[in-house]
Amino acid sequence: MNVIIVGFGFIGKKLVRAFYKKIDLIRNVDASFKVIGVSDSKGYLYDSKGLDLERLSCVKRLSEYSGKYREGGSTEEIIEKGEADLMVEVTPTNINDGEPGLSFIKAALKKGIHVVTSNKGPLVVALKELTSLAEKNDCFLLYEGTVAGAVPVFSLVRRCLQGDAIRRIVGILNGTTNYILSRMYFEGTSFELALKEARERGLTERDPSYDVDGIDAACKAVILANALMNRNVKFEDVKRTGIRRVTPEAISLAKKSKFAIKLISMIDKHIEVSPKLVPINHPLCVHGTLNAIHIETDLAREITLIGHGAGEETVSAVLNDILTVMKETAFSI
Amino acid sequence: MKFDLTIGLADRPGQLLKALKPIAKNGGNIISIIHERENPSAGFVPVSLVVDFPSRWNMQKTIDDLRKMEVTIIKAEEIVETVHITAILVGKADLKRVIQEGLRNAKIVGFEASALTSKDACLKLEIEVPTDLLDETLENLRRVAESEGSLIILPI
Repeated sequence: MNVIIVGFGFIGKKLVRAFYKKIDLIRNVDASFKVIGVSDSKGYLYDSKGLDLERLSCVKRLSEYSGKYREGGSTEEIIEKGEADLMVEVTPTNINDGEPGLSFIKAALKKGIHVVTSNKGPLVVALKELTSLAEKNDCFLLYEGTVAGAVPVFSLVRRCLQGDAIRRIVGILNGTTNYILSRMYFEGTSFELALKEARERGLTERDPSYDVDGIDAACKAVILANALMNRNVKFEDVKRTGIRRVTPEAISLAKKSKFAIKLISMIDKHIEVSPKLVPINHPLCVHGTLNAIHIETDLAREITLIGHGAGEETVSAVLNDILTVMKETAFSI
Repeated sequence: MKFDLTIGLADRPGQLLKALKPIAKNGGNIISIIHERENPSAGFVPVSLVVDFPSRWNMQKTIDDLRKMEVTIIKAEEIVETVHITAILVGKADLKRVIQEGLRNAKIVGFEASALTSKDACLKLEIEVPTDLLDETLENLRRVAESEGSLIILPI
């Protein structure tokens, strides 16, 4: 399988490293696996014989790889070459119009290229459209890494709960706010101080409002609702309240009644992201940067998944999606 | 709807069977019955029942029939199923309005306040709400809190 990677930021680099480290496992699934192209915002590397993963995993910028770097070249060009079987799209998230990832995914699917992404933007903006496009072109479109990082929520529901109707999903879908609220819960620190700590530890986005005002959690709620509950909701449909006004006093009062305050995404009749009281013995009551997703269905009743939600762990989800495509298409290649 | 019905029967054989007839006749379904035969008081044997009647009217009709039979009615109350909810309000708010408009269907069974005069005022309310009015009550509370500019934190 010929793979191209679009985006060479944090996840793109970590993915190349994972490819290099786990090449035997990957080639066990597909002996022909190779990365033939990688693009960033300024250009791309391309070699239809396959790029050297060891060398690629050592560079900070694609231009450092070798003379193969084509500055000014576009991602569309490497899609159009028609040699790729699978595109990994890991460009930065843009929830306003999903670009540039949305156009890249559309171009790839139209060309019959399978897509694996961890980019929420295109899915928040156009999940239904992209799903239809993938079906029409007989392609896989997998996006496990978009919600709760390494937590396999889509895989679980699609493979293990095929006969269940999902009634409600409640989750802690943003690790940064969970870290902040956990610091406030255990140490009694103020919101401002806990946010400062989160920033110093590199846990926040460049613009912290993305986390603390519930924007990130709302995006994930939209993807879960549309992908797993057959809804057709937009980001604007989410009633959203962040955690800025949660005070140490409120947390202390909650604690006395055996509750913790968590930023909860709730997909019920309505979709809401807001601070909620979570009983301390409830499986959702996880602390630190952990994410948790509690799924209520008609047959299985309640299932809770807990795991790490962002950063390097996302590579686990992306790699698993890639291996899934390889296995599922093994007989047709 | 369920009713808690306690009657006093004369300590003579056959009284309980006689007293149950009006309940069946008026559509009551007995869920539980406690007959304290060994514990008579002032010549009466108390019998506590939980009965499911189709309506309050059926219950009232039963009470009337029992009274005609000279059965003493010690207690006859509807059992209202309630849920206990904890809610936390952050920010200065007109508490009278929150209670009158936001909690008109609920019973406040406990509260605790912190820094009530500051902009970060916090109020924890422990309330009991009839199960069938839960959604309406939470919606009212949310609406009033929002119009007061407060943050309302409810359970999942």
